[in-house]
Amino acid sequence: MDPLALFALQLLNALSLSALFFFLAVGLTLIFGIMRVVNFAHGALFMFGAYVGVVAQTLSGSFIFSLVAAPLAAGLLGIAFERSALSRLYAREHSAFLLVTFGLALALTEAIRLIWGADARQAELPVFLAGIIFVMDEPFPVYRLFLIGAGVMCALACWAGLQRTRIGLLLRAASQNAGMTAALGNDVARIRALVFALACALAALGGALAAPLLSASLGLGSNVIIDAFVIVMIGGMGSFIGTAAGSLLLGFAQTFGNFYLPELSLGMTYAVMIAVLVLRPGGLFGRSE
Amino acid sequence: MRNLTMGRRTALGLLAAPALIRPAAAQSGPIRIGVPTAMTGTWAVLGAQVVRTCRLWARTVNAEGGLLGRPVEFLFEDTQGVPANCLRKAQEMVERDRVNILLGLMASSEALAVMPKLAEWNALFISSVNGAGSITAEHWVPNAFRANTSGPMGARALALWLRAAPQTEFFSLSLDYAWGRSSVETFEGLLRGIGKRSIGSVFAPVGTRDYSSFITRIRQANPQALYIALTGDDGTAFLRQAAQFRLFERMPVVTETVDMLFTRPAGDAAIGLVGGSRYTFTLNNPANAAFVQRFRSELNELPDTYDGEQWQACEVLATAVRKARRTDTEAVVAALRDLEMSSIKGPLKIRACDGQAEQAGLVVRVDRRDGMPHPVPEVIATYAPSEVTPACRAANFA
Repeated sequence: MDPLALFALQLLNALSLSALFFFLAVGLTLIFGIMRVVNFAHGALFMFGAYVGVVAQTLSGSFIFSLVAAPLAAGLLGIAFERSALSRLYAREHSAFLLVTFGLALALTEAIRLIWGADARQAELPVFLAGIIFVMDEPFPVYRLFLIGAGVMCALACWAGLQRTRIGLLLRAASQNAGMTAALGNDVARIRALVFALACALAALGGALAAPLLSASLGLGSNVIIDAFVIVMIGGMGSFIGTAAGSLLLGFAQTFGNFYLPELSLGMTYAVMIAVLVLRPGGLFGRSE
Repeated sequence: MRNLTMGRRTALGLLAAPALIRPAAAQSGPIRIGVPTAMTGTWAVLGAQVVRTCRLWARTVNAEGGLLGRPVEFLFEDTQGVPANCLRKAQEMVERDRVNILLGLMASSEALAVMPKLAEWNALFISSVNGAGSITAEHWVPNAFRANTSGPMGARALALWLRAAPQTEFFSLSLDYAWGRSSVETFEGLLRGIGKRSIGSVFAPVGTRDYSSFITRIRQANPQALYIALTGDDGTAFLRQAAQFRLFERMPVVTETVDMLFTRPAGDAAIGLVGGSRYTFTLNNPANAAFVQRFRSELNELPDTYDGEQWQACEVLATAVRKARRTDTEAVVAALRDLEMSSIKGPLKIRACDGQAEQAGLVVRVDRRDGMPHPVPEVIATYAPSEVTPACRAANFA
């Protein structure tokens, strides 16, 4: 294989993986940045999205519909969970959130096992996404390009939403000083519920997008949550730009690590994290707290 | 004084009574079969196949009046696939429940932990799924039998098929743990034995989700064929992604053992995968057709590898018990030696020298079939028992 073609393929591979990572991690960042909650259930929500996506596609026959149904279902679940459980805990210390979200992860996993069984389930790609294009005479799946595009769109939409809209302004305000934001007549409780629902929806959208590559299986949640935390640590807890940078860094480290040093690729993830944290203890774009 | 003597006699009589009654009791009432298997943990999905097939078999036999006129009763215990658990649960079954027949042990390491105790327990064990070659070689014991196709037998069938295949240069992709590495090592040795060669291998960490880098690496190596040793979610993810990269259009892909647990979630992506098979529901014989029909009507599923293997082991036991007309260990062991019969996998013979069932070796290819919801393994080559069974008490082929 031509070295340039090899590089181009690996570049695209890394970008498509980074896109999936971004969907997974951006919600975790939002939740932490605005609510100061470390959401252990995020991997389970990603997995939930994959399952709902597969089921929605099976029932409707439309992959695109699955990309709507999964975030919708997870968003509703998120609101219900925030209102019923998390909202009672804001006055407490952080460990309460760890326990409750970890509990949600376990409950969600078991619920999925009870509803859909232990077997993995698969999503099928629609014809227009199932094809290939040739990158320097090497076939490359169109779907991976679609993932890259979706990741970029999501990043731009999140950035614009946070920086250019009134809701974004309120979110940033609540993140910097929730008490003052409330004192100015804003409903912080509603903002928190909205953020949690949005974050759950993004994770589930990531899961539905990942389903054609990885299939929906019970191990998915615990498998991806570690990557999500590593990305958030690398980027800086609560930093949106940091999450985008962390997703890219981890996507490239894993893709090129798997190619050149497959036996060490698991360690690669942690090596990148340690290197970043040694140089910048608060993460690339975070404040050290 | 007289009273005392009488009392002593009575007491002795009472002590002796259970010993006198027990053999008689053991030959009436239900026939109890112990199945210490993995019902939770890593092997749970495979253990579920063993359990459901045992239950189905018991229902079937009992509906026909039982075995020797006695109902069959299975006792299940969860071992989580851990040898120490298995040994303990098996011992409890033997001592507490008076079980003398053990079936359905999951991991080979569990079977190897239990086998040395069989003589002391006066119990017998028929392997239904254990693959390790040593079970019928250096670790063989007289009360152990293997009804299923062993790992070396499966590998041998695949080697015979590959010998006739036009490809000569292979590349291997495997999971980076003990089984994956040993599978590749065995495969590379097997290639050398048939005058073909390996041009490289790569090991992916367990839990790898994105296989794109590995697929790129395989394409860069550009072999004539690919060997994979992947299971579970990892295997499914690879097959799907490789199909999206059109890898199978460039090279055939072979694997050690094809089972539907691995290929079904991959859907159409698994089409074309070739591998050894211990059992496939597509086997074309009347006994198997009846079994598949019964399985589908009762469980609403297609039997997979371990379902078929477990059923065959139950049939082996039943045939031996009918031949012995008793269920005590000595009689059943004697009946098992050189037992010849036919089961859902065709004719088989339990050879006396190491308890291995000589049976045909299968190679399958995953393909579409009308009326099936997903691609299924179809038999593409069958090898005679003499071609695929190693010499007595040998794990490998000379």
